This record gives sequence, structure tokens and C-alpha cells, in this order.
Amino acid sequence: MDTNNGKQLILSEDIYNGISKVLEELAANTRAELIIFCESNGYPILHKGSVDNLDLPIISSLAANNFSATAKIAAMLGEKDAFKFLFHEGEHTNMYLSNVGFNFVLLVIFDVEVALGIIRIYTKKAIDALTKLLSSVKEEEKKTKELFDLEFKTLLSEELSRSLKI
Amino acid sequence: MFINSALQEINLKVVYYGPGLSGKTTNLEYIYTRLEPSMRSELVSLKTREERTLYFDFMQLELGRIKGLKPRFNLYTVPGQVYYNFSRKIILRGADGIVFVADSQRDCMGDNLDSLLDLEKNLIETSMSLQNIPWVIQYNKRDLPDIESIDTMQSKLNFFGVPHTQAVASRGVEVVSTLKMIISEVVYKIDTLVEQ
Repeated sequence: MDTNNGKQLILSEDIYNGISKVLEELAANTRAELIIFCESNGYPILHKGSVDNLDLPIISSLAANNFSATAKIAAMLGEKDAFKFLFHEGEHTNMYLSNVGFNFVLLVIFDVEVALGIIRIYTKKAIDALTKLLSSVKEEEKKTKELFDLEFKTLLSEELSRSLKI
Repeated sequence: MFINSALQEINLKVVYYGPGLSGKTTNLEYIYTRLEPSMRSELVSLKTREERTLYFDFMQLELGRIKGLKPRFNLYTVPGQVYYNFSRKIILRGADGIVFVADSQRDCMGDNLDSLLDLEKNLIETSMSLQNIPWVIQYNKRDLPDIESIDTMQSKLNFFGVPHTQAVASRGVEVVSTLKMIISEVVYKIDTLVEQ
């Protein structure tokens, strides 16, 4: 299932916990400074590492849209799928972005001293594990309607008015 | 829409669409100044050297928990200039609702129509359409001298009879109410979206 067409994607607690374990293992194996797992529209889902001075929604949005932009380039070059990963090299920090299926993006930020090969090997392993975990996401679809009952909609409207001072 | 059941979060995406210089970025900039910092992310703008939107503007609005769920609204603008259509398509992906920001100036009606048709074309490419996605129209720049009447704009642009506002985004007039309007539309139409 993809989120291209305005439909919903629901991540259960079991899958969430599974993702958390995979990211922990990836962090331990790579000594990455920060690992972010986000949805392909840029919704941050989970991260490992410190985000003290970082705005997580912004980083996730920029990373995910970075991926989408290069996916268009891939298509224009005649590639059947999006590029599998993007690598950005900085003076102190490198960034390795990978697709996880069609709906998710994995972002690994690491010190330039860490060998790219290590990142590639363990990220590939993590992606395989994540893909397996996420293959069951579609089974969660029907819960959405139950969440948005009339009471929720009314309370949301009130919360909006309060928050936006109208 | 993306729901993280583990953290009880719901993420929705609202896209501000419309012709170049109609005031999409100005809407987001005003909303940004109006919200408590604890409720929003930073506002990020990817601009050209001429200060025009190159790719998108983005900010996240986070509300308090409602029945245990934390709603997050991800607000995007698209670049209005005609030749950035690829960027618009990317940003439209996964949109749950759209604010169409129309320029009320009389000589901008052609641009408004072109942009609306471009929106419909791009939506259809992602299996959506203006007939089924929640959207609202904001008639912006109502303070300028040579503007179309609301009746004329309604008859030319609002062919599905969606909710609309009359705004002056540069002064914040009807900016917040437009946002509230689209969020209400999205939430009230969730059942319909889910059934599709």
C-alpha cells in the first residue's frame, strides 16, 4: 500500500517496536550519530541518537523530498525504480539516505571517520529487516474510521479554535 | 495520512496550491508567527535567489492530544511558477487536503484558471481529483484596487462549490480561518477518503 493517493497508512505498536530494535542494532553496528526513520512524505517515525538542536520534522521533510526529487531524475534517466540510496558528503558529517520500500526513508548521519562501506553493509541489512517488518502494514487499514468518530471531530474543532485563537 | 499507533500520532498533509505570487508562502509565514513555538516546527523555505519558492515551504503544526491521539498537520506550499511542475507533483503526493490560493486581481484570472487546471491534472495522475479530495479556495489580495468580484471568481473557479474565504494574507486577514477550514474539511471527510 502506498500513500501516493491520499489513503491512510497505519503503523501498529508491534511494527513500531520492531523498527526500534532494527535501528538500535544499526546504531550499535555503525556508530552513527543519528538515525531517522521516516515516512516518504517526511513524517518522522523513529530516531536513534541525539536531536538536541535539530528540528526533526524539518530534517525528515527535507530528506524525504530530497529522495522524491531524485526519484524523478531516476525516472527521466529511464530507471525503473527510484535510486536505492543517496550519499551526501560533508566536511565533518556524512549522510546516507535509503529507500525502504515505497513508503519509507532511512536517514543515517555519521562522522566522516566512519567508513562508508560499514554504513552501506549494515544499512542494507537493516533495510532487509525493515522491509520484512513493514510488509504487514497494510493489515492495519480498517482501524482508521474508528479513530475519527464524531466526538473526535468535535474536540478537534474546539482544539483548533483554542490553539489558533479564533 | 499516516498514523503511528504506537505513539498515537496522526499526520495529515495540507498543500497550499495556486499561481505564482498569489500569496501561498505569505499564508504560511503568517501562521508561523501566530503559533506558539511549542506547537510548530521551524518554517523552512527552499527559495531561489530572487526569493521565489523553488521547491516548497514547510512547517508542522502540532495540536494537543484529542482522545489520546496527537494530530499533526504538515503544511506545504508548492512553487507557483509554471515551469516547476515536477516540484508541484512531488509535493502533492500524499496530500490529504488542498488550499487553493487565488489571486483576486482582475488580470490574474487566467493564471488562476491555469493553476487550477494544472492542479486537477496533477491530482488525476495520482488517482485523486478535485471532486474527491478535500479542498477550499482562498480569494486572496482582497485589499487591492482592481480586483474581480467574488461572484465572478466563484463562478469561474469554484465549480464544485467548496468552502471559500476572502483574505488579505499580507495582513493575516482570514489566513487562520482558511487553515481551520481546510483542516475541518480533511477531518470531516476522512471517512470518505478511507472508503475509497
